[in-house]
Amino acid sequence: MRRPPAFVAGLLVLAGTAAGCATRTVDVGYPAAETKKALLGNMASRRVVVAPVTDRRGDKHRIGASPKDGKPIVTARPVPDIVRDALVLEVEKNGHQVVAAAPGDVVVAADVEEFWLDAVGRSPATQYVGRVAIAVSITDGHTGDRLWSRRYVGIRRQTAQPDSKHAWRDVMDVALARTIRDVATDPDLALSVARTQR
Amino acid sequence: MTTALRSVLALALVFVVSGCASSAPPPPPRVQPSSAAITDVRRVVVVTTGESKFTVMQGATKESDRVLDEVLKWVPYKNILVPIARAVYGIVSSFLEGERAAGTMPRDVTPGTVVTDAFARALQASGPFNQIVGMDREPVGDERRLADAIVRLTVPSWGLMRVREGEADVVASFADVRAQMVLRETGVIVWEHEEDVTHPGRLSLEAFKRDRGLTRQELVDVLERAGRRLASELIYARDGAR
Repeated sequence: MRRPPAFVAGLLVLAGTAAGCATRTVDVGYPAAETKKALLGNMASRRVVVAPVTDRRGDKHRIGASPKDGKPIVTARPVPDIVRDALVLEVEKNGHQVVAAAPGDVVVAADVEEFWLDAVGRSPATQYVGRVAIAVSITDGHTGDRLWSRRYVGIRRQTAQPDSKHAWRDVMDVALARTIRDVATDPDLALSVARTQR
Repeated sequence: MTTALRSVLALALVFVVSGCASSAPPPPPRVQPSSAAITDVRRVVVVTTGESKFTVMQGATKESDRVLDEVLKWVPYKNILVPIARAVYGIVSSFLEGERAAGTMPRDVTPGTVVTDAFARALQASGPFNQIVGMDREPVGDERRLADAIVRLTVPSWGLMRVREGEADVVASFADVRAQMVLRETGVIVWEHEEDVTHPGRLSLEAFKRDRGLTRQELVDVLERAGRRLASELIYARDGAR
């Protein structure tokens, strides 16, 4: 029997709604207001291409599971976009110009290897452990030579109630901030950028 | 009990509770990092202070809690006996964890010294300070007079901690650290930071128990990571100051 399109559309809407209810969404991000100049600011301005971030996580559909009911925890925005936005903020804050596409003086590329929230124990003292792991590489925009690459891992531990969405977000925000600050204060990375020609 | 008496008692309770609440002092204001004040700092002495407690924190697991709940379901006089049973369980668990910690701690590692050395090395590599000297005591004489600022580092706790639950629980080394930068001339605190630092590597508790060398290495690694993280936060707090 051929099903009418309205019936199929209704099923799709229902499935979408059910999927929405079956997940817990947290709005993880990197605060622009707290961004500061670090070692990348100790050089003349470059035109920087921040390449799209590649998602190399094992589980791309969630960042953890609610300890109370096991429902998947997801981010409000795609994880690669969150990481890329954080990198763009850092580059711009340090006085460089982020350009949309090549040619630039420098190409910053990043892979997300982990973006995960674990919960240990249970009420009233659940310990959350947030981990963000990224691999960053610096390429000379003129020659295409890869100048530098390194992995950065930011981890945050926090004790909170088992169903605290605020804690989930705070833990992941801080884990991301620690990762990005390690990038921003890495003297070897700054040296690699400084070696590129303007 | 009459309704009037109940009301009086309820009001008295509310009064006592509100009185207690209002008498609690507000928490002291946190020191805000001052990038301007850090800008002029060139010569830094880094000092290790305070005691460090080594712990192996397994904590309660979902499974152990479930078993305890099952047992306590059958206990009579629940209102009285259940809290006592939970308290006893907590004390016994804490004692066992203490025993486990004593057998795991590497005796030749001084956590504050490892963090201080890593912190000083990271600051030296990053370049914003001209001179960084690590010490295990407060500087005196010329050592003190020549310093622009003193950074005091504390490692209140370090050890092993469960970081993932499941069929095979995984454990990682950790260090909780605090740092405070004080201007030598004025005593003004210009930077303060505390951080929970966790080793990215994760292993089973059995692996740690079996291999003392591995345990020592993981613990030293996390202390060095703590030193680098603190340095990273201090450099970031300078907000681009050269």
